[in-house]
Amino acid sequence: MAPVLALSGALDVETAAQARRDVVARLSGARLPALEVDASAVDHGDMSGMSLLYELAEGRLVQGVRATIRGLRPEFQTLLAAFPSGEALGALTPAPDRRRLFDEVGVISISMAADARAQLAFLGALVQGFAAVLRRPRAMRWREVAVVFEKAGVNALPIVSLISLLMGLVIAFEAAQPLEMFGAQIFIADMIGLVMVREFSPIFTAIIFAGRSGSAFAAEIGTMKVNEELNALETMGLDPIRFLVIQRVFAGTLLMPVLAAYSMVLGVFGGVLVMLSMGFPLAQIWAQLLGALHVRDVLVGISKSFVFGAIIAGLGCLRGMQTREGPNAVGDSTTRAVVAGILMIIVVDAVYSVLTYVLKV
Amino acid sequence: MSAAPVVISVEGVTIAYGDRIVQKGVSFEVRRGEVFVILGGSGCGKSSLLKTMIGLYRPAAGRILFDGDDIATAEGEARLRLLRKFGVMYQSGALFGGMTVLENVCLPLDEFTDLGAEEKKLIAAARLNQVGLLPAAGQKPSALSGGMQKRAGIARAMALDPGILFLDEPSAGLDPITSAGLDQTIRELSKGLGITFVVVTHELQSIYAIADRCVMLDARTKTMIAEGKPADLRDHSDNPYVRQFFLRQAEAAAGAEGSQTS
Repeated sequence: MAPVLALSGALDVETAAQARRDVVARLSGARLPALEVDASAVDHGDMSGMSLLYELAEGRLVQGVRATIRGLRPEFQTLLAAFPSGEALGALTPAPDRRRLFDEVGVISISMAADARAQLAFLGALVQGFAAVLRRPRAMRWREVAVVFEKAGVNALPIVSLISLLMGLVIAFEAAQPLEMFGAQIFIADMIGLVMVREFSPIFTAIIFAGRSGSAFAAEIGTMKVNEELNALETMGLDPIRFLVIQRVFAGTLLMPVLAAYSMVLGVFGGVLVMLSMGFPLAQIWAQLLGALHVRDVLVGISKSFVFGAIIAGLGCLRGMQTREGPNAVGDSTTRAVVAGILMIIVVDAVYSVLTYVLKV
Repeated sequence: MSAAPVVISVEGVTIAYGDRIVQKGVSFEVRRGEVFVILGGSGCGKSSLLKTMIGLYRPAAGRILFDGDDIATAEGEARLRLLRKFGVMYQSGALFGGMTVLENVCLPLDEFTDLGAEEKKLIAAARLNQVGLLPAAGQKPSALSGGMQKRAGIARAMALDPGILFLDEPSAGLDPITSAGLDQTIRELSKGLGITFVVVTHELQSIYAIADRCVMLDARTKTMIAEGKPADLRDHSDNPYVRQFFLRQAEAAAGAEGSQTS
């Protein structure tokens, strides 16, 4: 006759771990031909508790011995019956997903090519959308444009002001010391003018725009995608590009140069403040600035801003529309929008530098 | 049934969002092992009452006691002990999207038991098997249909075998077969293992199939208008609105808040 293991009392989530340890301790080392479990005295139980009986019955606790369970109350038997078969359990462990370097390169290349294609298609759709608006200006939702102007433009003024003014102050201040060695401090005016107008103001406002608004565009549109609002637009016969994207790209493109011009003024003002504190008369600083800065410098800075604005707003919307499913999806899209935006700012700026050098502007 | 001890008592609870009162003076008792259904038309505060009972919202007045302990004032360890007494299935499942279905069900076991990894997986698998979701165990919630997410939510709520289960609209959005299967599971767990259920629903068939007792909330008077066995309320209630609800009749009065169908 097979040895009998008698269990009694509560076999539930509170006691399961301890009961399992006890049973393992009792049975370890014993060489059993068979095992019988008497569970008739188990008066309280739940799924966690029944796992012990299941493991005994399946021979998972004592290798090679499948215990017979008897006396178990019917309500607990229902629970015990819920445990899946061995194969079903085995299928739960997924095969490790091991990719080789070669596969990896291939997968990444394909996804990059697909992304480039998507961007090109998006650009095409954008141009089409703008063409439609040009033909019929009422197709543009102008209220939305005004909202973007306010949120991305007016509300960004405090941070743009602070950053631009401080940039001007800091650059002038840092330059003052080396230039003093040559008695050339008056050239701070030339430097601050050129640096702010041609480079820093457009770039910094663009980075602020990418962080504040490019991310917001991606999150707004991404959330709409997750909530199936984009599908709803589609089935109502409304083009999401025309309905959501055009306004944002239009507003962004017009907004950027305004913000950049504002930043140029404040940045130069910051430099002027430093020079005034060093004792230069305002008239002299002004004359120096006018001598160094030309209209073409301002044009270079402003034209860059148009491009930055269009790229950041467009990328933000595109990443939003590419949002996948799941809780991290919107966050991922936002990150991708900001990273791609900033990357493109720097790349475009480099292209601009080469072009202006070659064209001597 | 009346002999069973009271596990939850709701005493004069008023629910309000700021100045807007949703329900006032709700009182009832839930006894061990019964299936207690909270019902009412859309927007009457069923889900708000449920969320107040599980301690997510504080009642504006009144108390909610679990075995004599007030959930609104319990803090720290005491609150944790209270929370361990029940499991909750949210309307949309509320599964964690970053984890697979199996990991979702394993999570409470991971956090609150010292079982080994294999056992936890085994128990979670059995839970999923119970709701018919074992084949989807390795998938992310976003790959599941709404009804499957709901069932996975029930599996997770039951992971620690709590004595009380709160279910928010368990059968809404399920096909009749799955819904009936779920009702049967609820009956089995309640009758066999003595688990107490508090279910928010307005699915009539489900109410008749599972409910031992129910209370009905009303959006217009903002009060509880009925308490009792569903069949009794249908046949003997002196409130015409209650009878209409159970007989699934559209409202006759013009400008009323819509019919009680789903």
